[in-house]
Amino acid sequence: MHLPDGFLDTKTALFSAGVAAAGVGFAVREVRATLEPRRMPLLGLAAAFVFAAQMLNFPVVGGTSGHLTGGVLTAVLLGPAAAVVVLTCVLVVQCLVFADGGLMALGANVFNMAILSVFGGYFAFWAAARLVRGNSVRATVFAAAFAGWVGTVLASISVAGQLALSGTVPWGLAFPAMANVHMLIGIGEGLATGLITLAVLRIRPDLVAGAQAQAAAAGWSWVPYGLLVSVGLAVFVAPFASPWPDGLESVAAKLGFEEQAGRSAFAAPFAEYEVPGVGSATLATALAGLVGTVLAFGAAYLLARLLVPSLGTPHKDAPSRN
Amino acid sequence: MEMNPAVEISNLSYRYPPRGRLALDGISFAVAPDECVAVLGPNGAGKSTLLLHLNGLLPEKLPENPNLRIDGIPLTPETVHTVRQKVGLLFQDPDDQLISATVFEDVAFGPRQLGVDGPVLRSLVEHSLKLVGLGGFEDREPHRLSQGEKRRVCLAGVLACRPSVLVLDEPTSDLDPRGRRDFKQLLRNLPGAKIVATHDLELAVDLCSRVVILDEGRLVAQGPTVALLSDEALMLAHGLEKPHSLLHRHPHG
Amino acid sequence: MLHRAPPGLKLGSALVIVIAIVLMPRRPDALYLLPAALLLGLWPLARMPLGFAVRRMLVAEFFILGMALLTLLAPEALPVFLAALIKSNLSIFAMLLLIWTTPFQSILQQLRRLGLPAVMVTTLALMYRYLPVLAEESSRMQRARASRTFAPGRRLAWHSLTTIIGQLFVRAADRAERIYLAMCARGWK
Repeated sequence: MHLPDGFLDTKTALFSAGVAAAGVGFAVREVRATLEPRRMPLLGLAAAFVFAAQMLNFPVVGGTSGHLTGGVLTAVLLGPAAAVVVLTCVLVVQCLVFADGGLMALGANVFNMAILSVFGGYFAFWAAARLVRGNSVRATVFAAAFAGWVGTVLASISVAGQLALSGTVPWGLAFPAMANVHMLIGIGEGLATGLITLAVLRIRPDLVAGAQAQAAAAGWSWVPYGLLVSVGLAVFVAPFASPWPDGLESVAAKLGFEEQAGRSAFAAPFAEYEVPGVGSATLATALAGLVGTVLAFGAAYLLARLLVPSLGTPHKDAPSRN
Repeated sequence: MEMNPAVEISNLSYRYPPRGRLALDGISFAVAPDECVAVLGPNGAGKSTLLLHLNGLLPEKLPENPNLRIDGIPLTPETVHTVRQKVGLLFQDPDDQLISATVFEDVAFGPRQLGVDGPVLRSLVEHSLKLVGLGGFEDREPHRLSQGEKRRVCLAGVLACRPSVLVLDEPTSDLDPRGRRDFKQLLRNLPGAKIVATHDLELAVDLCSRVVILDEGRLVAQGPTVALLSDEALMLAHGLEKPHSLLHRHPHG
Repeated sequence: MLHRAPPGLKLGSALVIVIAIVLMPRRPDALYLLPAALLLGLWPLARMPLGFAVRRMLVAEFFILGMALLTLLAPEALPVFLAALIKSNLSIFAMLLLIWTTPFQSILQQLRRLGLPAVMVTTLALMYRYLPVLAEESSRMQRARASRTFAPGRRLAWHSLTTIIGQLFVRAADRAERIYLAMCARGWK
């Protein structure tokens, strides 16, 4: 999902960079305030870990393979603020050492994969973990798997929004294409996130527990991220997120701005195209998203039940809902 | 006038938190300045745990009435940074110690904490690298070095802090025979007190005048190297063996 | 030549060049010859080997095409598609010139001077240092696993890979602890 340069226009890239910088700034402040000094080197090692994990190829279907992105996994293992810092560093190194992801698009990539995916995913993790009572290992695995899926889909929607806002791909096409594909890709991310979380819980439950306690303690500090994520999503997605075709353009038309649509900051230059079926595709994708969320939720729960069968073996130090 | 021992340990115990096993159980011994002492024992005997104590890295909360003195200075929360500068600790895995992107930066890490900078720092780093036989390695990257070279860089980084006691954890464990011989030669020529935890019994014979044997956290024997290591029954009882170089030597000969 | 230029200047120039490319019209245009000529002119100064450039461009092409295919969905999208291809390829070439001539260490120093928070600088530095160590550790575990895999299958592969990644994290965390101790031993506060 790394955006290369050349797909975003300047205003979208700059705006994303601004939101991303603010988000990383908050995360850095929180990490500095809450992380014990002895866990400081862990951030660097975790970043190297994410990078190394991304190099492993999982077989998918018919000879294709995919790899982990690791944002939600890192949030589950280290807590969300630390995960924002870690994922940002991964993206910076990928950009400046491997030319993977654009330089001007770095802000957008950080927003999508290091902030939205991490925080949106972590929120899903936090909320879902509270819904399963009894076995904390099972709750953690289930919530991690579900959150992995959510994080992936959220990031893809944001990419679609950025492409639409840049006028590169109209929303009515970008959103269904990105969201539908990533609802499938997200299954892999969710599955891997759940399985890896379980593996770590089996070897060293204390590593996961520490992060959860820390994140819970810093609960109030979620407010700025929530705001940032909302602002970002609002700007990238909201103008397009009505089921009717070209919402903003039709507003512009009503107000008599058609002539200037091409030059106006927010209108994509697609007003002149009649894209058949676009409106219904957006609506269908939104509906598919709802159904997909429910399915992913159920599948994650089944996965956790299968993997953590008995209620009789709770890990003492495993993260509980505290 | 009496000289302070370089290291003095009295009745040191340590239990891993929260309620783990007793890793060290009433350890007492002293090391004279310029003496080299080997710490031997099977895996899990408490060797590495003991070494971390010498640097104040364990226990996590240092006690107010210390059971450790370095150059006569009691190890307390107030003196811990002075003590860390006096005790140079070489870790078992060089990759844990080499944290910087270049050899220069890594050797400079310690001195920088002590406020050394500029040309003084540069010459200190160059000097330390020459001491370990790696003059001119300043701009090399750690991950492109051989295992032996990594170890030497770590040693240079420790020496650059000008310690009075060197503490080495398995310094020859992953070196090939030549690397081991060279590193041994290097250690022999360094001044100051040395404490070496090792499974390399030949290293103990070659380098150390005295050995301390740990088993299950307790100090089970200490004495002159040759006498102790020739005691086959003692060696076998603690997961060790009589070194080849001593096979034909009489314990007291 | 370019190797000795100040890293800040190179980073800034790369950013300016990329922004200029991004600002160009969204269709194939003669204007693109300007940055293309500039980058081709810089190439010999950077002494970047052809093989390196080709290899990295091919890897990047995979991502670019994936993204660019999206643009093709729209009607009459060919100019947008071509422009996106040209823009991203030119930008990536500019980035490759930067990467080839500027070690990450000096970019990092520059970022620190520009006020990147210390937490980020430390994390980036440690990440860059330990990337080869962890990659090596990961491939050792994969080899050990492969040597005991006799009936390969997708399910087993997922199980092995997630176990390896979990184990890799645990080892990374343990190593972080030892690194912390080693840093303290050398006076870090």
